[in-house]
Amino acid sequence: MTERTRTEKDVIGALSDEERALLKRVLEIERAKLHLSAYDGTDDILAAVKGIIP
Amino acid sequence: MKLQSITLENFRQFAGRQSFGLDSDNTRPVTLIFGANGSGKTTLLNAFTWALYGGFSDDVEQQDRLVTDAIWRSTPIGQSVDVSVEVKFSHDDRSYRLLRTATLRKESDHQQRAIPVVQLWATTPDGASEEINAPQEMINTILPQGVSRFFFFNGERIENLVKKEAYAEVQKDIKVLLDLEQVERALTHLPKVDRKLSADLRKNGGERAGQIQEEIDELNDRQEDAKKRRSVLESEVASLNAERERVLELLRENADAAPIQQRRDQVEQELVEAQRAYESAVTDRATLIATRGFLAFTDVLASDTKEMAEDLYRRGALPAPLKREFVDDLLEKKVCICGTELTEGSDSWRHVQNWRHQAGLQAVETAWQKLAGNVDELESTRASLRSDLSGIAKRIGDEHDRVDRLIAEKSELDGKLRGSRREDVQSLEGKHMELLDMIRAKEQQVGSAKGEIERLAKDIEAKTRERSKAEVTDELALKARARLDLVQSVKKALTEILEIRATDMRNRLDKELKEVFATITHQSHVPTLTEKFELTLHKLVNGVELPVPKSTGENQILSLSFVAAVSKLAREIRTERRAEEQTSVDAGTYPIVMDAAFGSLDEDYQEAVARALAKMAPQLVVLVSKSQGMGKVITELMPYVSNLGVLETHTTAQGEVADDIEINGTAYPYIRSSDTDRTELKVIL
Repeated sequence: MTERTRTEKDVIGALSDEERALLKRVLEIERAKLHLSAYDGTDDILAAVKGIIP
Repeated sequence: MKLQSITLENFRQFAGRQSFGLDSDNTRPVTLIFGANGSGKTTLLNAFTWALYGGFSDDVEQQDRLVTDAIWRSTPIGQSVDVSVEVKFSHDDRSYRLLRTATLRKESDHQQRAIPVVQLWATTPDGASEEINAPQEMINTILPQGVSRFFFFNGERIENLVKKEAYAEVQKDIKVLLDLEQVERALTHLPKVDRKLSADLRKNGGERAGQIQEEIDELNDRQEDAKKRRSVLESEVASLNAERERVLELLRENADAAPIQQRRDQVEQELVEAQRAYESAVTDRATLIATRGFLAFTDVLASDTKEMAEDLYRRGALPAPLKREFVDDLLEKKVCICGTELTEGSDSWRHVQNWRHQAGLQAVETAWQKLAGNVDELESTRASLRSDLSGIAKRIGDEHDRVDRLIAEKSELDGKLRGSRREDVQSLEGKHMELLDMIRAKEQQVGSAKGEIERLAKDIEAKTRERSKAEVTDELALKARARLDLVQSVKKALTEILEIRATDMRNRLDKELKEVFATITHQSHVPTLTEKFELTLHKLVNGVELPVPKSTGENQILSLSFVAAVSKLAREIRTERRAEEQTSVDAGTYPIVMDAAFGSLDEDYQEAVARALAKMAPQLVVLVSKSQGMGKVITELMPYVSNLGVLETHTTAQGEVADDIEINGTAYPYIRSSDTDRTELKVIL
């Protein structure tokens, strides 16, 4: 399979459990605050990273 | 988002408090509301958008007259009137009540501009209710204002959606709808997380890892600068293009320059087409040569092979499956291959003896015919290659000539404008040329910034690999490095996901658009959503794509097809399994509310559009007049209707104005004489 034909599922499938957990968490964080244009997710994401690798 | 009801209070024609239920299911998604001209169909459409965003569409006149005229007139000076629109809807497993209100204190007969207040309450499936703190922001998340143009629209003006100046906005707004926005936002926040974590590694990581991290930080800084530079350059190109368009517009409006500019517009458009046709012909030739080009070298090969085979044939030496020697051997040993004794003169002996005569000869004949046939076919295939090649060569030549001719004509027209005796024309053209030069220079800089960003990305990746391998002994540094690697991997995955989603979204929208458009139109035109998100229409003439000038009707069908495609895709995308793992039942569902939906379309088109929309939209609210809706439209829509209503017009107009509307054999009041002008929203079904 070439790089161009990879699907979103392939990308997710190639991640480790930790990476997949962070990816899901990051998107949850961003989606929940999508309506707040002034929101900066940096600290919430950093906390999520530290939650996954304590 | 699924609409449940709308309640209007003293809103424009709708005096007092009036409600209409909009609940519908998947089998009957349609709400059909009839209303005479001036009854308030456009007002009702605008009531939704006013409640959601606080504004009216441009075609609404006297926008400050928010309160029903009759109510305003009867209100004493010094007293206040409330005006409001309440919309109830569900979205992502939550129920919402949206209320926009304004209180106007009467100081004169003229209504002053109202300052409405918006409130939004949400109820979760377990019954918990809360008022949303940032209601407008939340509404913009559920349905961004720009995106609402796909779902709340006036059918007669929908062609605006496919106008060139709308593309950039459409592309931007659609990102939220199709789940790209949160990925983009994550990608802007992750580098900041990266930066915070890298500080830990620099501090505790020892000499080597610390040094690598510093190098990575520097590369990141340079990449960030390059990205900013590219972004600035791209917006400069966009504003230069907009300025160029303004200059061209002035040339089009100038009496002396207009005919020349109009011709130049045509020539430029034809030139783009000719260049595309030329490139397509060159590609076709390359494909032909790559797939069948080898045949050109088979001339001598075929004749030599044929000559050699003829010689072999004459000598009976072509390979054959049954050799005469083999039969002779059987006869000599007097035993057949099946074990039967071959006594001379017996039936079996005669049988095998017959094979001796046939062996070789018949097989040679067969082999020869096959070979000769193949060689002859090779020659005819070569002949067809020659004719195809000369056909393409002619096409290339013709298109090249067309490009040359158009370039010459364009130069001539440029010269005419440049050398115009009118100074204003001369200076506009000078400005135009100057802008073109600037655009080209900026585009080159954009290209070089893009190249630099790509190079830096590769360098960062290489350094990150190096960092992973560098020796680190400190525990805090080890942890920081593991966290950095984690963030890096997720950033990489999200970048890929963004690209996949964006490409997938455009391809699927394009496919849907083609399918929907084909079900509506009887023309053989094919719409395309280009990579720049432009909606184009073309037809195939002798294998060449030619653009079709779009009429208003075609633009309307194109826009309606696009709306139907967006609606379908938004629903599909949100229900698929993705990184977010969403499970909401009505995820990606949006209603379509249309005023004068079938605008100026022919009856055939009205029927096809009605059918397509009823089948594709999860919820459809159609506002039509008796003349627009009573024919094929109502026949198509009726099986899908959940709610039926009439905007009953009460008018102070003199004379015999009363009129009824007959629906399913029953007559309902449509227009009535009255002492005040107002509209009543009547529920029929």
